[in-house]
Amino acid sequence: MMRKTALLSLMVFFVGLFTVCPLAHAQSTIKVGIVDTYTGPATTFTMDVLDGFKLAVNDINAKGGVLGKKIEYMTRDEKFKPDIGLAMAKELVLKENVDILMGTINSATTLAISDFVKKEKLPFFVTFAKSEKIIGEKGHQYIFNMNENTAMVGKAAAVALAKKPYVKYWIAGDDYEYGHAIADSLWNHLKKFKPQVQKAGESWWKVGEADFTPYITQILAAKPDFIIVATGGAGMVNFQKAAKATGLSQIIPFYQHTAIELSVLKPQGQNAPEGVFGTANYFFYYPDTPSNRAFVDEFKKAYNREPRIGALSGYMTARFIAEGYKKAGKIDKEALIKALEGMSLDTPVGPMAIRGCDHQLELPMYFGVTAKNPKYDFLVAGDVQVIQAKDYMPTCDEVIQSRK
Amino acid sequence: MNAVYSIIPAGVLSQVFVGLSRTTILFIVASGLTLILGVLRIPNVAHGSLYMIGAFTAFTVTQLSGGGTAGFWTAIVVAPLVVAFISLIAERGMFQFLYEREHLMLLLLTFAFSLVFGDLVKLVWGTEYKSVPVPPFFQGFVPLFGGLPFPLYNLFLLIAGPVVAILLYLLTNKTKMGKIARAAAVDREMVGAVGINVSRVFAVVFVIGCYLAGLGGVLVAPTVSVTLGMDHTLIIEAFLIVIMGGLGNIWGALLGALIFGLTQSLGILVWPKFGIIFPYLAVVVVLLFRPTGLLKSTW
Repeated sequence: MMRKTALLSLMVFFVGLFTVCPLAHAQSTIKVGIVDTYTGPATTFTMDVLDGFKLAVNDINAKGGVLGKKIEYMTRDEKFKPDIGLAMAKELVLKENVDILMGTINSATTLAISDFVKKEKLPFFVTFAKSEKIIGEKGHQYIFNMNENTAMVGKAAAVALAKKPYVKYWIAGDDYEYGHAIADSLWNHLKKFKPQVQKAGESWWKVGEADFTPYITQILAAKPDFIIVATGGAGMVNFQKAAKATGLSQIIPFYQHTAIELSVLKPQGQNAPEGVFGTANYFFYYPDTPSNRAFVDEFKKAYNREPRIGALSGYMTARFIAEGYKKAGKIDKEALIKALEGMSLDTPVGPMAIRGCDHQLELPMYFGVTAKNPKYDFLVAGDVQVIQAKDYMPTCDEVIQSRK
Repeated sequence: MNAVYSIIPAGVLSQVFVGLSRTTILFIVASGLTLILGVLRIPNVAHGSLYMIGAFTAFTVTQLSGGGTAGFWTAIVVAPLVVAFISLIAERGMFQFLYEREHLMLLLLTFAFSLVFGDLVKLVWGTEYKSVPVPPFFQGFVPLFGGLPFPLYNLFLLIAGPVVAILLYLLTNKTKMGKIARAAAVDREMVGAVGINVSRVFAVVFVIGCYLAGLGGVLVAPTVSVTLGMDHTLIIEAFLIVIMGGLGNIWGALLGALIFGLTQSLGILVWPKFGIIFPYLAVVVVLLFRPTGLLKSTW
């Protein structure tokens, strides 16, 4: 009788231990769930975001965490499939009880998760998806966009191109939403800024097209002044290589978003074409300020490569989460959102704020042209002009109108 | 020359030649696939991954040897051999024990290999895009048709294609091993009954087929960015070409690659926005009228 009671009480004690402890554990860290694509060509960008995020989180945790709690994160691979991504997000929220969701590079997944977090009332930081619907018509108070979108890119490029003498344009690109969105935004804004521009024609190729020579010969035959090339991902390097091989880059100038970015220029070494126009949101070499250099050195020491825009987005996401909770004074989702609206933080490239009306991070946009530089064995951006956020971001009124 | 231009515009001629240079790559990869399919009866889904490994290996070889024209020739020699070696290990290590099993099992095994190879590439080379530079000897272009530029490297591909085709023809028709392989494709039991080691024949054919995949990867590398995922796009095109041409038929692979490459480049001229559908339309048309493929299949 005594042994049975002792055994029973021991069992009750252990059961109690196991049920109480996880609860206590859940409250002692801030859990961030990251849904992103970690297979296939997109991985080169998503690893930037993750590594930048990790760099900041390690820093923050080493200094004691946020309000006494460490930041804990877990990743899920959506394999660039929206149904898997949404399932992963649901698992992270409903089973792992994350406080915050982060991700993804796939705009379709991002929009699906956005719908989900609206119902769950959970903050979601968008790190690499570029659809303008995310922060525009499908935006809401739980979305924070930490990167640029296609509407902003198009407008920024139009601002720069309107000042140039080109009139006859050819539009080409990857035949999917990203390509068309950038081209449409650029063309619509360019026509507004410079009504005399004409469109000589369009060509669209399948995403992942490897051989551009047939398209390029067709464009050369039409003899436009300038080509808007709306490629993304692997298409960037493919097109630049084909442009160099066919001599297009020396005959007709063209523009691509991120043409001047490290991810596109570094793989080509000294063989990248010169004179290609592009927009980008971060360079590790410009501005050459002490804070940027410090960030670059820290990142290089940890990951053995230079940081790119994804790294800055991931890094700033962690910093904003930490500072947002600190300002709110408590681990509460609604308080975090309130605290982040309008908050400005010092970043490696100067102060940046999260706009209050739509939760868009106000990134700098640079317009430049590819050029050789004796300091590096790859091409970099030359003639860099800064395009101010107020010149390329839609106004608060426009965003609120689109969300109706 | 001007008389020709009055009938066929310079732009069309240029596109035809561009399509033909694309045909070279498609043919080399598809011929390897059709060889393996015809003789071993294995639909080698890992063929695309081997092509990708060929491209990545070419990147490493050109990096190590300094990137000049000599580096490129070294890559052409070394990379397909590396791929052939990997395929030899796979064949001797696993495939040779499973030839008696049904085709579905072999297909699943090659599919498993394609997944493993895909991740292996990610582990070994990382996730960043790689670029193999066009060898200095082939940089630049010739103003071939009405001043429109034709890259020198594409000219090289135009010559390489027929060279490989002729070598393959000699290999399969004029060598003893080639004749045995063709016999084994038609009736492997008979070949075994005559006293020939069928398993060894299979190994040789498999390795040659995979060598061709690697060769295709090396040749395509200077024209594209070498990334994870390039195996998926290619394997679909290669299978369609093999099916169009007739299973196991190398000339069929050439015909299929010609049709695919030319409809691709000419389709862009005809209808730029939807040019991408023309090769697949061609496949549908061919299969509607000749469901077993254009040329005789060995099955």
